[in-house]
Amino acid sequence: MSLPGELPADEPIVAPAVTMSSLSFEVSSRVLRPGAPRWWWIGFGFSFALFILLVIQLAWLFIFGIGVWGVNIPVAWGFAISEYVWWIALASGGTIISALFHITRQPWRAATNRIAETMLLSAIPCAGLMPIMHLGRQGLFYWLFPYSSVMGVWPQVRSPLWWDFICLFCYILMSIMYYYTGLLSDLATVRDLARSRFKQIFYGVLALGWRGSSREWRNHKIVYAIMSAIMAPMVISVHSVVGLDFAGGLTTGWHDTQFPPYFFFGAVISGTAVIVMLTIIVRWGYRLQDVITQYHLNAMAKVVLVGSLLLAYAYLWEAFGSIYSSDIAEYTEYMHRMFGFTAAGFWAEKALVVIIPQLLWLPAVRRNQTMLFLISGGIIVGMWIERYVFTTASLEHNYMPSYWGLFYPTFWDWAALAGTIGLFLTMFFVLIRLVPIVSMAEVRDIIEKKKRGEA
Amino acid sequence: MTNPARDYWRSLEELADSPDFAAVVEREVPRFRDVLDKFDRRQFLTLMAASMALAGLSGCGPEPNPQQRLPYVEAPPGVVPGRQRYYATAHTRDGYAEGVLLAHEMARPIKVEGNPDHPASLGAAGAITQASILSLYNPRRAQTVVGPGQISSWEGFVAALYRRREQLLKKRGEGLRLLTGTITSPSLGAQIAALQTAFPAMRWHQWEPLHRDNELAADQMAYGRPVARVFDLAAADVIFAVDSDLISAAPGWLAYARQFAARRRPDETGGKMSRVYAIESTPTLIGAKADHRLPMRPVEVAASVRFLAGAVGAGPSQWTEIQSPHRDWLKEAAADLTANKGHALVHAGREQSIEIHLLVELINAALGAHGNTVRLIEPPVVSPTLHLQSLSELVGDMQAGKVDTLLILDTNPAYSAPADIPFAAALKRVPFSVSLSLFADESALLATWQVPAKHEYEAWGDARAFDGTATIQQPQVRPLYGGHAPSEVLAVLQGNTQPDDLTLVRQFWQRQQGAGSAAEGNPQSLAGDAGGGQTGPQSSGSSQPALAAAEAFEAFWHEALRRGVVANTAAPPLTLTPKAGLAEGLRPLPLGGEAAIDLLFRPDEGLWDGRHAENPWLLELARTFTRLTWDNAALIAPATAKKHGVKTGDVVAIATRYGATKAPVFVLPGQAPDTATLWLGWGRQAGALAEGVGFDAYRLRGAAEPWLARATRFEKTGETYRLATTQGHDRVAGRDLIREFTLDRFNNDPEYVKQKSKDVSLYPGYIYPDRAWAMAIDLNSCIGCQACTIACQAENNVPTVGKDMVHFGRIMHWLRIDRYYSGSPDDPDVAFEPMPCMHCENAPCEVVCPVHATVHDHEGLNLMVYNRCVGTRFCSNNCPYKVRRFNFYDFAAATERPPESWNPDVSVRGRGVMEKCTYCIQRIKVKEIEAERDGRKLRDGEVVTACQQSCPTQAIVFGDRNDSHSHVARRKATPLDYVLLDDLNTRPRTSYAAIVHNPNPAIGKEQS
Amino acid sequence: MAIFGPSANLLTKAVLLAGTGLFLILLLMVWVVPVMGYNSQERYAPQQPVPFSHKHHVSGLGLDCRYCHDKVEVSSNAGMPPTETCMTCHSQVWTRADVLAPVRQSLAQGVNLRWTSVYVLPDYVFFDHSIHIAKGVGCTDCHGPIGDMALTWKATTLYMSWCLDCHRNPAPHLRPRDQVFNPHWVPGPNTPSGAELMKAYDIHPERLTDCGTCHR
Repeated sequence: MSLPGELPADEPIVAPAVTMSSLSFEVSSRVLRPGAPRWWWIGFGFSFALFILLVIQLAWLFIFGIGVWGVNIPVAWGFAISEYVWWIALASGGTIISALFHITRQPWRAATNRIAETMLLSAIPCAGLMPIMHLGRQGLFYWLFPYSSVMGVWPQVRSPLWWDFICLFCYILMSIMYYYTGLLSDLATVRDLARSRFKQIFYGVLALGWRGSSREWRNHKIVYAIMSAIMAPMVISVHSVVGLDFAGGLTTGWHDTQFPPYFFFGAVISGTAVIVMLTIIVRWGYRLQDVITQYHLNAMAKVVLVGSLLLAYAYLWEAFGSIYSSDIAEYTEYMHRMFGFTAAGFWAEKALVVIIPQLLWLPAVRRNQTMLFLISGGIIVGMWIERYVFTTASLEHNYMPSYWGLFYPTFWDWAALAGTIGLFLTMFFVLIRLVPIVSMAEVRDIIEKKKRGEA
Repeated sequence: MTNPARDYWRSLEELADSPDFAAVVEREVPRFRDVLDKFDRRQFLTLMAASMALAGLSGCGPEPNPQQRLPYVEAPPGVVPGRQRYYATAHTRDGYAEGVLLAHEMARPIKVEGNPDHPASLGAAGAITQASILSLYNPRRAQTVVGPGQISSWEGFVAALYRRREQLLKKRGEGLRLLTGTITSPSLGAQIAALQTAFPAMRWHQWEPLHRDNELAADQMAYGRPVARVFDLAAADVIFAVDSDLISAAPGWLAYARQFAARRRPDETGGKMSRVYAIESTPTLIGAKADHRLPMRPVEVAASVRFLAGAVGAGPSQWTEIQSPHRDWLKEAAADLTANKGHALVHAGREQSIEIHLLVELINAALGAHGNTVRLIEPPVVSPTLHLQSLSELVGDMQAGKVDTLLILDTNPAYSAPADIPFAAALKRVPFSVSLSLFADESALLATWQVPAKHEYEAWGDARAFDGTATIQQPQVRPLYGGHAPSEVLAVLQGNTQPDDLTLVRQFWQRQQGAGSAAEGNPQSLAGDAGGGQTGPQSSGSSQPALAAAEAFEAFWHEALRRGVVANTAAPPLTLTPKAGLAEGLRPLPLGGEAAIDLLFRPDEGLWDGRHAENPWLLELARTFTRLTWDNAALIAPATAKKHGVKTGDVVAIATRYGATKAPVFVLPGQAPDTATLWLGWGRQAGALAEGVGFDAYRLRGAAEPWLARATRFEKTGETYRLATTQGHDRVAGRDLIREFTLDRFNNDPEYVKQKSKDVSLYPGYIYPDRAWAMAIDLNSCIGCQACTIACQAENNVPTVGKDMVHFGRIMHWLRIDRYYSGSPDDPDVAFEPMPCMHCENAPCEVVCPVHATVHDHEGLNLMVYNRCVGTRFCSNNCPYKVRRFNFYDFAAATERPPESWNPDVSVRGRGVMEKCTYCIQRIKVKEIEAERDGRKLRDGEVVTACQQSCPTQAIVFGDRNDSHSHVARRKATPLDYVLLDDLNTRPRTSYAAIVHNPNPAIGKEQS
Repeated sequence: MAIFGPSANLLTKAVLLAGTGLFLILLLMVWVVPVMGYNSQERYAPQQPVPFSHKHHVSGLGLDCRYCHDKVEVSSNAGMPPTETCMTCHSQVWTRADVLAPVRQSLAQGVNLRWTSVYVLPDYVFFDHSIHIAKGVGCTDCHGPIGDMALTWKATTLYMSWCLDCHRNPAPHLRPRDQVFNPHWVPGPNTPSGAELMKAYDIHPERLTDCGTCHR
């Protein structure tokens, strides 16, 4: 049986009208068209303005020091770290969609993975920037690299921060390669369709002389499969290690064995949510309704719902652990989180991430793009609040009552947030302008399969 | 680099030059009255301070670039680079000497420490005393002689004063007045006496805002003469404190604190303790340590003291028939006192009324305290005077135009005079007034001549301690900013136009030693080696006996300088008995029961009477009970706050018969209801750092009631003010941070006292085969005086951060004192807990640092490697004790402090670096290296941390835990010993001795 | 028409190869640059107010190090000799020499000589000469053939790794107490071995590498 408004089982992944050639043309034309559409210029302009703010913020921070932020003792970790977690979660979401679902052979991944990866690529520099800005002596971040120069001392491998640094570093490199590998054949397509000499050369160079020979295709498929196989566990480990940054600490409210999976759940939901939003924008902006169909949105909405349920479980467990715990410090800290200084954030986050997304049980909601868009937006905000609350609240109510304190963000804290969002969107807009936003190669597969199915 | 300080001074001088300068001040004053206005002023000043990075630099001539080395031309004897030497002198507070040793590095004084040979120090030093090193270097000190209408010079001043002298001699000193603070200096006293004979009509006035008039008046009544008291707390089994400053401010408090604490350590005294009762209107240190404490309004205090007098037979017995909820409590206390005749002691603070001082004296007499716990001695003060009377007479004469020459030496009445004694106005009527002061303070700016004073550490002088012991003060450094000593100014009046304080002091002591003028020596060369304090006596003169005398004197002189104490100068004891029938003669108490607010004026812990208002360390020192920095406030009880509908931070308008001001409220548990304590010394109108910081309580203070005034107005204004405190939460919130037992429990149930420590682990602990540095802090001894905090700040180059940063939670003190309340907010129990780094063996901070910036060494020190730190701040998050501090800005650079005043043995931390208590590793290493050089093991007590050294009560002990005979090992062996948050299995090296109370079984807790 | 000729393939490969090579070289620099002499100022002899020759004074005249650096056994700082020390001899010999004019001037006018440090340690490093000497580390262990230097030049990198080499394995750098100031010392047949000296001096290498040994 099916609920009212449920998509029929045979709902096509790609609209029947779409043919191989039309697909290539449709998608490539978005890239090859001379001028950019107005919505793009508006979006890009807005993003770039925010990006400038980031530059100013960085200058201010480097000149005057970390003191321009609201961090203090006891709350020595503020926005920077919670936003690092937030960004890396968004990025991981991208990898989950593209890698995890590639391995699990999800057909609908095909049309959305490029958006996911583009988002991932744009989110990663934001994530990478945060911990560096956060340092007291930003210029010396490279001391975390395991190189022994003239000092004769090495990084400390016992520190979760070091694990995290290494994970993040590998993850960034891997993501870029993964993205590019998936992009190769499409770049070739664009090259072939390009008319102006400049574009031909530009995409030609990027395509690395891809010819589309069966040998190339075979190798490509193998490499890509292997990469996916690496990326999938990697993204899980990366985000688990981010969780260990906190779980590895002795701090009340952090010292919690469930953090690695807990953080991963967060990545699933926030990542998917942001992809849903971007997909809706791109689909509308580039008028790709035929290629990116209801089917995709419906599927991703379900993923979001699952993520929200997973998180709900994690939240319950966290609450149980703290309240049932015999540790008075744990208990008071959680009470502070729920009813103290951070109460508003605490409950807002639960509503946005757990309660409201339950609407997605209803097919009608999943169908309704506006609703989908708003719910996803809510989730992303909610996840930001969640990171912020558990980072600061734990530090505010630590073991030492005499040193309880509160965290008040300053203008420059907010500037850092807005600025990185600017960086993210700027990169995203640039990328969707320059590279095909739907993986033509993979969609072709689907069309091909469908044909064969008919035949 | 331009130097705002210089600009600042220049502008001030220009201001001072303008004829209508006084008018300017008048116009300025109202602006300071506005509390809110202080906001902008504060921020402006903080910014200015911050912009003054390395202000001192410009003071030290052409900078050698760091690559250069400048060897001496002629090496001074005995100076060893990188090794500290100590020179004795004295620091005075209210005129009384506290012996100190100044640590010198390459002949530069860098730290003030107590002088073990000095009776008023015994090796300890209070916060104010230790912070004095900063005043010495303070670039904001007065630096130029300003004459009438223009910048002048010392010579110009001498000439002017000398001309004045000629005229004065003609009229036998008619119109010549001298105004000083309390003086204990024998040489200065002699000089003034000499002046008095030269100018018979001259009059000498004294003004010390924190005078002890009431005590003096009471003594006059009791004995018909001034006396001073020396207490012996070691002999006191029962102490009854009436708003007492015995272990916090009274002359000799360091010594008293040590005696007091020695009787409060049952683990070291075989289960015996003294018992302390306290009745007080506002929390005091001794009250916090008391076994029974009652907060009560001043009227009740008076009644209670009468009750006590009646009960112990020092007064009419009908005094015991009072209606008071505390009657039983007082009865038991009185019984306890009588039961311990000869071993009991009652003490009342300086702020108490004449009557109370008198009664306390009578009670002590009745309890046979005299000769046992109290010793009456010849007062060390030169000619004790009723200061209020003295000042009002002076001002009367000034207004009457009878004063044409006024010398103000090291006192600042324009700021500190009672509101109804218009000194500032009267000063304008004095044609020739001189102010000798360290800073261009309010009086200096109004005087016709402002002459920069030498800091105590720059001048030759002498001073007596609370017990009369004299110290000859030797300069530690050449005057940094010019300046001259009071003796030099007076010498000019005596006709000496080339005065030189060394000669003056030497000559005085030569006369004392009866060495006559034989050993005149030549002062200059002597200044050299006397400064060195090392070289042997040098001879001069011709004839044989003169030579002998000279050598004898040299020997005496050098010994006195070396030890910092002049042998056998303690004042002789007096055997006096109070006149009879005094108690009966007292008028019945006024029934002051109606609910108006009593304003209590108290000295500020840091700024004292305001003279230290330019000292950033003291401004930023969190006050013992309020943990308040950079401000004073009206301290009121929770009940009173509820009644007036105010909370901490609300601004109230306060008025008395004498004046009005606005003040932020601070709700202080343990304060007596319907009283408000106001700290003096704030709200300065001159100065750069202190100007407009806090509010000026002197404005509410009248000559008639200097310590206690009835508020005619106490209303909420609706304004609020941001107070910067350092403690987040006042109670332990269920943590096992403070352990307390009764003495009974301690003696009879040691097993209970020895609570099982929970640090059990599957893994074996690390073995420390050689040394294991550890610290034991005795919470029984800790009286919360915070000497350790400043000692640490001075030793370890800890920067100040300013009010805003404190408010942001960025204060840098490595060693803080947590103050926890328990029980009802109206009369809580108070516990002090010094918090240095715990140096955990399983240090949580170490594992999380990605770059090995904080690691353990093989002696168990938790090291902090500043130069390796990249500033992730994870260590601070992971520190359960929150003892790590972070340089969010370049605080050290912004600290207004000449580079030569920093401790060169400790890295000055830059921006973005974590720091914390190191157990004074620099001291450990220096001693280790010495020992290793001599190929021997370190002796116990050889390494002394700065906090341990400064502690008056020896609450802090540091040493090698592995050496079972070491003091620290013995302290840790007591059943009282425990560590904080042991269930986290951090295995701290710093442990605490639980608090033991010795309550009177006859008094139920509910009463006390 | 083709945009890319056959040469493009080769070109691509070449570019990729070159890129990788460049990257590797840059990576190598991280290790190479610091150990280059110009970076550590090794063997560099700065300009001095007086061209003082240790070679002449020590090897030539046979002055003991401690004649000028008299605090070296008790102080963290070896100390530069005060002007008067120079003048003890130079008030008698070379009294007219132009090269010594700054010295005479210094004494006459009481202005300090300004030598340029050859060995500069960062502020956060607390080196103590006296303990190294007490533990039998010879002057030349750090200051190189100081006795034969006509002009004083920097004999070591002073890098932390250089310090650690010795602090991790002091034995090879130790010599009998009486040979510490000998600028030309070479271990003889009956010189006690490093291990023996370690025992004699009671040196515990594991504690020598505690950060607190040098950083406070």
